[in-house]
Amino acid sequence: MGEVVTRIGCVLADLTAQLLESHEREAVRGDLAECGVGGWRAFREVLGLVLRRQAGLWTEWRPWLALVAVVLPLGILLSHASRSWADSSALDVSLYLRLWDWSYLEYPGWRRDLFRAVWSMGLSATALSVWSWTCGYMLASVSRRTVWVAVIAFALVVFLATLGSTTVARITHDKFAGHFYGVVLPRLFRTAFVMLPLLWGIHSRRKGVIRPTTLFLGAVVVITLTVLKSPGLENSLVWGRGLWGEAGPDRTFGTSDDPRPLWPVALVMLWPTAYILATALPTRPRRFDAA
Amino acid sequence: MLLGEFEYLMLTAAARLGNEAYGAAIRQEIEDATGTACSIGALYTTLDRLEDKGLIKTWMGDPTPERGGRPKRMVRITPKGIDAATSFYNAVRRVSRGVAWAKS
Repeated sequence: MGEVVTRIGCVLADLTAQLLESHEREAVRGDLAECGVGGWRAFREVLGLVLRRQAGLWTEWRPWLALVAVVLPLGILLSHASRSWADSSALDVSLYLRLWDWSYLEYPGWRRDLFRAVWSMGLSATALSVWSWTCGYMLASVSRRTVWVAVIAFALVVFLATLGSTTVARITHDKFAGHFYGVVLPRLFRTAFVMLPLLWGIHSRRKGVIRPTTLFLGAVVVITLTVLKSPGLENSLVWGRGLWGEAGPDRTFGTSDDPRPLWPVALVMLWPTAYILATALPTRPRRFDAA
Repeated sequence: MLLGEFEYLMLTAAARLGNEAYGAAIRQEIEDATGTACSIGALYTTLDRLEDKGLIKTWMGDPTPERGGRPKRMVRITPKGIDAATSFYNAVRRVSRGVAWAKS
């Protein structure tokens, strides 16, 4: 049992050491091996160094820029959007699962509705994933060495920012379904379409800079998705946080003719894309840089 | 420039070890001298601080089998580091004149 516990400490020490720069990681592991320090003591030592290194990094501006410009605003928006779209998807999923009959495919109206539901869910999932990927890419660009702290902060914001808010789409027909659609499905949405794409964006940035052509095409996709989904994004805040505005000419709130005072949130979603494009643009050499 | 006490311990250990001064060896010297554990975190962050001040130079040395094939972070004290350590030592001697523990 003692050996197992010691082994766990060694594994944790090795994992924690991954947060150090590669040359320092090897030197530290070598020093600990030479001094015969292993197990939980090694983990504590490495953790202490990692925490000191991280604390030192946060005295610079880059991690704070990542926190203020990406983690907080986009984390909050993605939190509301993912929960809202998970809830609205839950309605369609619940109805189709409970009422499904293959004979429905014979009817054009059902086929249209099925296509609408699949298209809507697919668009929501794609928009969330693409926005999250750009966030991850930007985080890894702005502050490489504190990216994992930023990821933890991002996850906390995404999973907790909707506390105290509400949504109009809740399944309540029985205990299990209510819990699954109301609690589990939003978390699955956030994990699958926010956190995993975020990590993929970080991984993409670490692999290397993407070619400008690919970035440009990607930007077109992101902008198109943002235009298509911006009303839904605004509604996730309106209905979630009770940010009621005025009704439009039809005097009915919640219809398509209502004014959209929250339209700038779509621009916030495009910040990472704009940053990625701006940093990818080739710069002309300055006169005094000429070798 | 007035050093911190841990910085002085590290400079002194590095000076004593000469060409064999590196992370684990400095750590062992300090633990032998003070009788207390020296954490890797304090050691490496202080090495960075001393190098930023120009008091030491560090570089990655060759890997060795007893370190699992991993390199060492070698340390060499600079002339500026020697001056700083000397100043600290002289300041400690001057301020300790006549006190009870300095007489023994």
